[in-house]
Amino acid sequence: MDLLEFKDQKPEPDMFHSYTPLRNSTTPIIIDNGSYQCRVGWATNSEPLFVFKNLVAKLRKERYKKDNVESSQVPLLQVGNDIINIEAVRFQLKSQFDKNIVTHFEAQEQLFDYTFSHLGIDTETIAHPIVLTEAFANPNSSRQYMSELLFECYNVPGISYGIDSLFGRYYTEPEQENALIVSLGHHTCHIIPVLEHRAVFENVRRLNTGGQHIITFLHKILQLKYPAHSTSITLSRAEELLHSICEVTLNYKEELMRWLDSDYYEQNIKKIQLPYANTVTSSLTLEQQKERKKELARRLTEINARKREERLAEDEDKLTQLLHIQEMFEVGVVGEELENALAEFQIKNSNDLQKNIGNLNMRIVKTKMKIKSAKFAEEAEEPPVKQPKTNKMVFETEKDMNEYLQNAKKMVSCCDYYKNFNNFFFSQRQEILNRKTLRKQRKQDMAKRRTAAGQERMRIISQLARKEKGNDDFGLRDEDWDIYKTISKDGGDTDSDAENEKLVALDETIREYEPNELEEVNPGETYQLHVGIERYRAPELLFKPYMSGSSEAGLSEVIAYVLSLFKPSDQLLLAANVIIIGSLSSLRGLKERLLSDLISVRPFQSKVSVTVAKSPGLTAWLGAKKWTEHPEFEKKLLTREMYDEFGPEYFLMQPFSNLYCKTPNGQTIDVEAV
Amino acid sequence: MATEDIKIENKPSFKTAASYFDSKNNGNKKKTWKSLKQIISSEKTLPWPEGTVLYSSINAPPSFRPPEKFSDLSGLPALYTDPATRLRYANKEEYATILDLPMDITAGYLALRGASSIVG
Repeated sequence: MDLLEFKDQKPEPDMFHSYTPLRNSTTPIIIDNGSYQCRVGWATNSEPLFVFKNLVAKLRKERYKKDNVESSQVPLLQVGNDIINIEAVRFQLKSQFDKNIVTHFEAQEQLFDYTFSHLGIDTETIAHPIVLTEAFANPNSSRQYMSELLFECYNVPGISYGIDSLFGRYYTEPEQENALIVSLGHHTCHIIPVLEHRAVFENVRRLNTGGQHIITFLHKILQLKYPAHSTSITLSRAEELLHSICEVTLNYKEELMRWLDSDYYEQNIKKIQLPYANTVTSSLTLEQQKERKKELARRLTEINARKREERLAEDEDKLTQLLHIQEMFEVGVVGEELENALAEFQIKNSNDLQKNIGNLNMRIVKTKMKIKSAKFAEEAEEPPVKQPKTNKMVFETEKDMNEYLQNAKKMVSCCDYYKNFNNFFFSQRQEILNRKTLRKQRKQDMAKRRTAAGQERMRIISQLARKEKGNDDFGLRDEDWDIYKTISKDGGDTDSDAENEKLVALDETIREYEPNELEEVNPGETYQLHVGIERYRAPELLFKPYMSGSSEAGLSEVIAYVLSLFKPSDQLLLAANVIIIGSLSSLRGLKERLLSDLISVRPFQSKVSVTVAKSPGLTAWLGAKKWTEHPEFEKKLLTREMYDEFGPEYFLMQPFSNLYCKTPNGQTIDVEAV
Repeated sequence: MATEDIKIENKPSFKTAASYFDSKNNGNKKKTWKSLKQIISSEKTLPWPEGTVLYSSINAPPSFRPPEKFSDLSGLPALYTDPATRLRYANKEEYATILDLPMDITAGYLALRGASSIVG
């Protein structure tokens, strides 16, 4: 089984295109504004000029870097493909989208700036009509802000709004009259029935589960499965996994049953290697730690010794001064000099002086002793260090065993000893481990109410609590008190430190002599992700939204529901031409699954066909481009005059747009009074 | 003052204002940001003519099939539920792992399934 690795692809910054060929023309700009990616290009291009994720990262200006020259060079606002490492700025990311609707116009404006400047436009206004895609049933207030932004801020001459899925159908199958569009988006999926080239608006249904939900779901299950690697399992890596190894299975239940077989598991598991830094083995670091500790201790003793010597010198100095005063007393000097000296040492009379001198002498002797003993200790400390530490954990026969072991390693014939030796260690180790698990089990049993152990405990406690007058002889015998041990939650004995230490030491010795026996794996292996059922589990979310707590029906169920809203003859027309669009449709097995699910709900032998659009991610943009070539296009442009005349929420309907419904009562949502 | 200068310099030539929708710079324009939820609910309250298709009216219907139960750990069909953690599991090996799981992991699994609320 070969290991997969993350590619962690970084986006390439978009280049600034030249405006010159299109200057002074009225070529429309086509913007497919999706909640995942934005695709931008001129109507004369054969495909989008550039595609970027609809994201803005607003970096916080770090306070301490304020005056730093370097920080001013890093742009505080990164847009679209300028964001090199998405994971680094994950928490600063902003999108103009709330689900599939644009609500955050500050971000939208920044993204438009990015768009237009990368198209190379350097004139006073944007002198090109804009074809912009929007979501199905986009609320008026959202569109109104969009018009306002484009007209007031960018001074565009005209706008044409259209629905991405309808553009997509227009591109893929323009001649087909009827179709059932399954549009798989980043946040939502739409099921759009089209009869005689017209979308049947009232029967459209939106599933609020999309690619983004699959990615976060996969991200979460992997993080929970590998809590130790939760930081290195990132959203972008989950996304990469979704595209590289995830599949939609034809029959989820059967697939799960197959995974129960361990052979199938071994054959089909995908192992993914996380990047890791090869760390030095633990034994070496242990040595180093010891070294470091010793070094620290040595330095400390040195400091102490120096301090002691300093104190000694100080004391000796003081002593000579005091002796000098004593001399003065003895000689009988009276006067200012003596007074001053006495005041300095706060001495009242000769008795005091004697006491002080005595104390000082004592102290000097003590310090000298200490210095001496410290020196000795230092010398004495050296030899025992040479003994290897592992010997601390001594079985009485260890030395013999060591010899046995050496022999055994040299001569295969002596294998028996070796085995015995190993068995001895292993049995000891196992014993300790068993004891530990037993204790754990008992502790758990005690904690729960309905276990036998727990009930026994409660019985004893209630008996102890019972007050009986008269012959209470509890406590006369020492054994009486043992009852408290049995009812304590850890059953009297806990994992003692001594035992833990012994276990560590045993592990160490075993590892030393028999490195393969304990699961000493190569360090890379602990950095591997095993992705098995998850490959199918994550995309299955589309069909079973309840796996992440949503109460909505799954994709197939919604398709069946939408079909049921039509009369049987129309159902036939729709089911005969189901097209899947949206970047998510490149998921392997999706088409087959939808087909099989659809067949299961359709009448026997009725025609069912499912197709995936070619380059499903770009169909919306290409359809919009095709729309600009339509003779009606110029007439259906919403112009600045109309915007001024009919209000900000007005727009012109065309075959691919939403329906215009004036907001009732003449009250528009959130129109600001100027 | 200094930041404003920079902003003016950065204004692309094709714009009328450096940042049209910046709430801080536009004193006269009061734009309160509304989340999609707010927009939808305010849209719902209006007296729309019969048959208008609104964002909220095209939501997918709830599922009519009983949800299947899958193990939270492996995704296998789960027959059992651990009463202590309320995690679902498929076999005894998984149960053994559940016993050792720390609280945050079990809570994470429940939240992933949307079963972390006390009521549900």
